[in-house]
Amino acid sequence: MAAKRHVIVGGGTAAINAITSIREFDQGASDIVLVAEERPYSRMVLPYYLGKRISRSHVWTLSPDRLAALGVTTQIGRRATALDTAQQRVTLDNGETVDYDDLLIATGSSAVRAPVPGADLPGVHSFWTLEQADGLIAEVKAGSEVVLVGAGFISFTILNSLVKLGVRLTVIELAPTILPRMIDPNGAAIVTRWLEQHGVTVQTGVRLNAIEEVAGRKRLVLDGGGELSADVVIMATGIRPNLGWLEGAGLEMGRGILVDDHMRTSAPNVYAAGDVAEAFDRVTGQRALHAIEPAAMEHGRIAGANMAGVDRAHRGTVLMNIVDVLDLEIASFGLWDDADAESVAVEKPSQWAYRRLLWHGQGEAMTGAIIIGISEHLWATNDVGILKGLVQDGQPMGAWKRAMMDNPWELKRPFVATGHVGRLLQETVLGRPSTPADEVNAARWVSPEAAALAAQTEV
Amino acid sequence: MKVLHIEPEKCTGCLRCEVACSYVQSGEFNPSKSVIRVSAFERGHTSFSPYTCFQCAEGWCMTACPVEAIDISAVGAKEVQDDQCVGCKLCTLACPYGTIFYDPEREKAFKCNLCGGDPQCAHACPTQAITWIEDFTQDWTGAFAAQRSAADLARIGATNGR
Amino acid sequence: MLVTEKKRNQPAGYAGALLRVDLTTGRLWEQPIDDEFARSYVGGTGMGARILYDEVGADVQWNDPENRLILATGPLAGTPTWGSGGLSVVTKGAITGGATSTQANGFFGANIKSSGFDGIVFQGRSDQWVYLYIHNGTAELRDASHLLGLDTWETQDHLYEELGLSGHQLSVYSIGPSGENLIRFAGIQGDYGHVASKNGCGAVMGSKRVKAVAIVRGNRGIYVADPRGVFRTADDIAYQMRTELPGQNFYLIGTLGGVTGLAPVGGLPIKNLTTNILPAEADMSKWEPMELREGFDHRGHQCNACGMHHCHMQVIRDGVHAGDVVDEPEYEGWVGAGWAWGCTDRTKVSWMNTQCDRAGVDVNEFGWVIGWVMECYEKEYLTRQDLGGIQAVWGDADAAYELLQMLCTRQGFGDVLAEGIKRAAEHLGGPAQDCAVYTMKGSSPRGHDHRALWPEMLDTCVSSTGTLESGGPTRPQELGLPATLQVQSPDDVPRQVALTLGRRHFEDSIGTCFFTTSTTIAAIAEAVSAVTGWNYTKDDAMYLGRRTAALMRAFNLRSGIGPELERPSARYGSTPVDGPAAGVSTAPHWDHMLDTWYELVEYDRESGRPLPELLDRLALPEVKAELWG
Repeated sequence: MAAKRHVIVGGGTAAINAITSIREFDQGASDIVLVAEERPYSRMVLPYYLGKRISRSHVWTLSPDRLAALGVTTQIGRRATALDTAQQRVTLDNGETVDYDDLLIATGSSAVRAPVPGADLPGVHSFWTLEQADGLIAEVKAGSEVVLVGAGFISFTILNSLVKLGVRLTVIELAPTILPRMIDPNGAAIVTRWLEQHGVTVQTGVRLNAIEEVAGRKRLVLDGGGELSADVVIMATGIRPNLGWLEGAGLEMGRGILVDDHMRTSAPNVYAAGDVAEAFDRVTGQRALHAIEPAAMEHGRIAGANMAGVDRAHRGTVLMNIVDVLDLEIASFGLWDDADAESVAVEKPSQWAYRRLLWHGQGEAMTGAIIIGISEHLWATNDVGILKGLVQDGQPMGAWKRAMMDNPWELKRPFVATGHVGRLLQETVLGRPSTPADEVNAARWVSPEAAALAAQTEV
Repeated sequence: MKVLHIEPEKCTGCLRCEVACSYVQSGEFNPSKSVIRVSAFERGHTSFSPYTCFQCAEGWCMTACPVEAIDISAVGAKEVQDDQCVGCKLCTLACPYGTIFYDPEREKAFKCNLCGGDPQCAHACPTQAITWIEDFTQDWTGAFAAQRSAADLARIGATNGR
Repeated sequence: MLVTEKKRNQPAGYAGALLRVDLTTGRLWEQPIDDEFARSYVGGTGMGARILYDEVGADVQWNDPENRLILATGPLAGTPTWGSGGLSVVTKGAITGGATSTQANGFFGANIKSSGFDGIVFQGRSDQWVYLYIHNGTAELRDASHLLGLDTWETQDHLYEELGLSGHQLSVYSIGPSGENLIRFAGIQGDYGHVASKNGCGAVMGSKRVKAVAIVRGNRGIYVADPRGVFRTADDIAYQMRTELPGQNFYLIGTLGGVTGLAPVGGLPIKNLTTNILPAEADMSKWEPMELREGFDHRGHQCNACGMHHCHMQVIRDGVHAGDVVDEPEYEGWVGAGWAWGCTDRTKVSWMNTQCDRAGVDVNEFGWVIGWVMECYEKEYLTRQDLGGIQAVWGDADAAYELLQMLCTRQGFGDVLAEGIKRAAEHLGGPAQDCAVYTMKGSSPRGHDHRALWPEMLDTCVSSTGTLESGGPTRPQELGLPATLQVQSPDDVPRQVALTLGRRHFEDSIGTCFFTTSTTIAAIAEAVSAVTGWNYTKDDAMYLGRRTAALMRAFNLRSGIGPELERPSARYGSTPVDGPAAGVSTAPHWDHMLDTWYELVEYDRESGRPLPELLDRLALPEVKAELWG
């Protein structure tokens, strides 16, 4: 019987984790074909490349050697253009087709620019892909005037690097507060003050109407008549899952591809993972589109296990983000923005510290949290991870809820006293201890040719 | 596999483990750089327990790392490789125990690496509350914390908050 | 708010700066500690004595804004050496009006160094009540009006809540109601049970309107010269503590052995030194050290990096306070909060001891005050009416607690008692005055019956620090003394006190606890060397100690405290009427002992001044100029 053929479309976090997960279980007993537009790299590290803290070579993830060791056949530089779920076949941009026994769709997402005139002018950048990072790096210089359009997570991941490069930075945001999908207005106010204190101009509630080229510089025309000028404009106005090639494929879609707890789509033998997958949220138990790295990682691993024939269900991803701006840490977990929640918020203004804890529907389980603090203070505690543990475990806190509402600064005692550690220690994503990714390989995988050779030698 | 076995009943809260750990981590005596952290589980300076990485089976930090900068060392520690780590903090977000940290000066994550198999916290502990022995990692402190904090919790309940 | 640079060019082992606070102006600044200042004065009492001598003139009273209140640690603080959370308080004290050197431990030293300072020097007086908040190299004065009236433990509880911290994340040293109300024997209490209690340093803090010092366990690193050496010397000292006497005693049971150890030699004070016969109702088997430990549920409560079985918390098992967590009394607490006034119910004593800590009063002087009141009550020098209705019967813990409240708030006769035992006794005068236990300098003894322990009586009387200055010699041979000391020998006693002078000043300058350094001076000096890189020796240590002692003596002479005050009160110097030391008396030998002591410490017998040759040897030309012209 021919080895099973797994086809993975996409080369990001979900794809890499699916590959290593398959190999963790089958040790090379299957064929894996990777279809990726670019040589795999980590998008998460691009801001550090922008900030000149790592070299370009640091961004690569699966090198050709690693792919070989993992027993992966590659179609790199190829884009999938169509999917035929009946034939179990993917069509590539060069017209070739690849047949699969099972397929993982992990095509990620792309940056979207605000639909304003001039958004495509030279000197207006997105920052999402390596190519875009290269483009921005070539233009941004110490002393450049840079306008970041959008004050969301993506924008904040590069803000640090831009400031450290010595640019003069202005951030504009359409929403009334910065980081509107990551922290509440109280937290945003603290972060805004911090930015301003560090020389970053922040304008919120501002609509960009157009970008114009004026004497080699950009003029940003704002709603209400305001103007900004800049050497470089960066549009960090959102991302959109790459689903275009699936038109007509007949997969059930919501905002992304609907998957079950095994990362299976509505089509047989087709899985989806990462930014494209509308998978389960750990806290709500509902499907949601979580375009975050940890979701891609978990999705990829669960999908990989199931593709390898090992039944693994996903308990859902905790929505979470962390970003620091000039050593102010900002993180949020779970349902931090829940209108139907009992919540407590506390602040230590002199230390730039802020917390909000939320309890959905007056329940006893903590369902969301926001934490802000200066790096050197925050990391002297165990609190960031403990918030994740609390949201992830989702256990009723009993009387400790009251204590936490009283004093949200003390998290370890309630966390430990309610036995979270013991429960969490039982949990693994794949139902077994994880293997470090770089130790996973196809060591027992032997190509048919080599197997034949070995058989001859033995005779 | 050897683990850091913690017996909170023996801990006096002297924090000598933190002092020793911080030296191994940073080359100076600096409690904020310690990756073992002692907390009080009762009001007043009493009922302490050390708390550090459990070297959990999942290795949430390790699997979350986008650049494979966290490995398992020969002694079973999830260990940050500084030359790989870019400081993105995904590991700190993923770890549900809060036992991996970020050092803003070095721009790296840092955590317990079991001192390569000779944990200095265990050496430093004057009361053998921390020992380095064959066992399975487990929740060392939960029951102790629940018991020792019961009176405080009752007080909070009685006053219904502040 | 003072914000300091993260990197300083500090000497190894030091944070590198003293935090200066002018409460009058609200100004905060750093006084850098350079290599020379560090090597010359080391820390704690050494640095404090220098600053006190340099900055507080003859006409400054203890409660004047110009007085300085110095809270400092030393180079070993924050390192793995056991007990390295040391705090030494130096000031012009409220009781003697002279120099003060009094210690506490806990986490002061470790926390303040991790937050960027080696000590704090307060001057001036604040308009409003404030607390000093120190965090990661920053410092600020914050309003403390909401903390007024809280006892010291409540203050720390409150600051935990207010600052969102818990456990050892925050170290708090505060005054209780006693310090706020300028009770002359108010101390500074920290971290639930560690008290720098002597010479009214808490009253000085109160006079400056500082309620508390709150120090976050911060993120400043301490670089040391020889890290491996630091671990090695720490482990060496720890080994000696575990295996060798006298340290081993403290290692195993702290000071709990005192009651049963001293009673047989007449060294346990009972009922204000009126008797040395154990009361019939006292079940001494319950006072055996291990019985004291087993009589309560215990919780570890060690100071920074300490492995001693010394400081504990205990849970009261029975009675009205069942379930209360209290600090296990030191020997001195068992006496001051009980035996000194006839209470031998260990549960009541234990609870009372913590009430003293919470109120912020020196438990020794509390014991002498209550003992005196109870004796006066029995002898009808004081009536129930005088005491606002309190029936101050020997051993009545409720009465003692009421008296504590009364004196802390200066209500009624409490206002008299608040002035301390000497002034209260003088206020009453006559036969009542003769019952009181104190020195003519105003201080009162520790919780021993010094009539059987002459070295301590001599030490207490000649001291310039407001309490014992030399302390007991830990390893007498190291200082040229015989291994076994005679405590009632007119020749040996002054020799012991004199030759030991300086050791304690050294121990109180390095940021540790003198219990955890109950080994050779050489071993401790080696630990100092490892931290600082100095090649420090026993001789260096004693030189520092003698120099510090000379500075404090000169300061006291400047403040008008001379040899004429170096004698015990009538009761303190009396002859035991019964018990193991019945009939022995220091009185016939007192002058001889002083003569010998003066000769050996090289101070002038008549004027009390350190002799010019000594001051030359100690490189104190400015002191010589002041004292000798």
